[in-house]
Amino acid sequence: MSAAASPATGPPRKRNLTLLVHQVRYEQLSFWRNPQSAFFTFIFPVVVIVIFGAVFNSSKREPFYFGLSGLQYYIPTIAALSVLGACYSQLAIGLAFRRQTGILKRIRATPLPAWAYFAGLMANCVLLSVIEVALIIGIGALYGVPLPSHWAAIILTLVLGAASFCALGVAVASLVRNAEAAPAVVQFILFPLIFLSGTYFPIHSTVLNHIADVFPVRPFNQALLGPFAQHTGFDWNHLGVLLSWGVIGALVAIRRFRWDPRPE
Amino acid sequence: MKRYGAVEAVAGVSLTVEQGEIFALLGPNGAGKTTTLEILEGFRARDAGRVEVLGMDPGERSSGRRLREQIGLVLQDIAVEPYLTVRETLSRSAGYYPAPRDVEQLIELVGLGGKQRQKVKDLSGGQQRRLDLALGMVGNPRLLFLDEPTTGFDPSARRGAWQLVRDLRDSGTTILLTTHYMDEAQTLADRVAVINAGRIVAEGTPESLGGRDTARARIRFTLPEGTSADQLPISARLDSDGAVSVELQEPTEALHRLTGWALQRGLTLPGLVVDRPSLEDVYLQLTGTDSSDSEPAAEGGAPRRGRRRLLSRSGL
Ligand SMILES: Nc1ncnc2c1ncn2[C@@H]1O[C@H](COP(=O)(O)OP(=O)(O)O)[C@@H](O)[C@H]1O
Ligand SMILES: [Mg+2]
Repeated sequence: MSAAASPATGPPRKRNLTLLVHQVRYEQLSFWRNPQSAFFTFIFPVVVIVIFGAVFNSSKREPFYFGLSGLQYYIPTIAALSVLGACYSQLAIGLAFRRQTGILKRIRATPLPAWAYFAGLMANCVLLSVIEVALIIGIGALYGVPLPSHWAAIILTLVLGAASFCALGVAVASLVRNAEAAPAVVQFILFPLIFLSGTYFPIHSTVLNHIADVFPVRPFNQALLGPFAQHTGFDWNHLGVLLSWGVIGALVAIRRFRWDPRPE
Repeated sequence: MKRYGAVEAVAGVSLTVEQGEIFALLGPNGAGKTTTLEILEGFRARDAGRVEVLGMDPGERSSGRRLREQIGLVLQDIAVEPYLTVRETLSRSAGYYPAPRDVEQLIELVGLGGKQRQKVKDLSGGQQRRLDLALGMVGNPRLLFLDEPTTGFDPSARRGAWQLVRDLRDSGTTILLTTHYMDEAQTLADRVAVINAGRIVAEGTPESLGGRDTARARIRFTLPEGTSADQLPISARLDSDGAVSVELQEPTEALHRLTGWALQRGLTLPGLVVDRPSLEDVYLQLTGTDSSDSEPAAEGGAPRRGRRRLLSRSGL
């Protein structure tokens, strides 16, 4: 057996932390070993930004991009996309699969407390998001995009966005009945929202933007665009919308989450 | 008692499992075995009745973690993460228990030695099941629940799993398993309860189940050519196909008279057998799968060992 002491022993505070590290470690292993999750949620946004970097490599500021260069616009929106993938899509699909296959039920049969399981999942998602966003910013820098200045606003927005989309991911996993349907449901919700929110190309219709601002994706994009490229700081209005969606997701998740594959 | 909509899945289950024994819940598909087990494991809420597992109520959330530290379980369907290796899967779960088993030893114990670094998805079904079993044991449980643990095993893997379960029992673990295999209940269990349509219809040791030990012996043979039933030295029932059968408490004397009679006449008794009802006969009769016999189920006189009540359940 490994020399490491069991996380289930030791003083409570330390025990909880060790347990969390233990969880994140195995979540990471499962994530990277699964080619589907590693590709779609991790590699895909990186590939997109590499391609966009090659296509929009002029640093010319354009009205189409609200006075930004193309890449200046896409760095934050694709960073947001990567958080959506790492948090929302990954959790919704992964949890639906784990429930259907009885893996969740089996976890529930161990003394691992539910909070530790979810904290491990979220910490794993946040960790993945941080790595991805750092990669995307790094690739942007290689293409000559200046580094952002408002780090505090960026970090708060990313953490809030990651948490909210985790909550929404768990909520969707709680609502879908079978795992085969999960990827379709996840995409069905996400795909129109991504387009409507200007992730892949800026939307100049005020009406559409007002509509999109009610949903969580555009507020997240906007709250990142400000501190990333427009030298504005905290975007409290959009952060507020994001937080509200996070709370809705959390409420649905808490009320509807099931460990058991069969409904009682 | 447990209802799913209009279906009363479990309605009359009352059983006590003694510490350190292997108790088998035997019944056909849909009898309510899994439902019963999952109520005991804390997965399903009962609609009525009283349940006590290791002195705790599995429906009580506050003691849930303490209970789960002391029980282990294997679900009816294999449930293991596909992308972790055998060792990682077990090490992860070991981290959840206060006093886990040694992972390497456990891997050897369930016969997965040499597979430590293999990903779970690359294991065969039987190997995954054994990993699943190891997951049930990794926390060193006092009480282990096994839901149809050997379904789908080949004969040698089954025998291996049985030995493992016996060894566990011998080291002090209490085991409650479900099965629809009669031979499994017969060879493995210290006590058996037969469940049918949500009710316990018999309970006892495999030897005494359904009054098997006190049941009457049966002599059967085919009527020799050229003789008729009224020539026989014993009174017997003659079936239309020429098969003769006699049921008696004590067959020795009747058998002697019968064979003497045959030898005197230079006859043989084709197909002669003397037997008592097998566990299979009792089971089929109790679960009503065999419609030819509708004798009410006899309550097996299980000798109660004077051990501490570990788990009790009544009026469910
Ligand atoms: N989640 C459920 N919803 C509705 N009916 C169920 C559910 N689980 C089991 N049942 C029904 O309850 C009965 C007992 O099922 P189960 O306990 O799984 O039996 P066994 O394990 O002995 O095969 C069956 O009729 C089954 O169809
Ligand atoms: Mg079952």
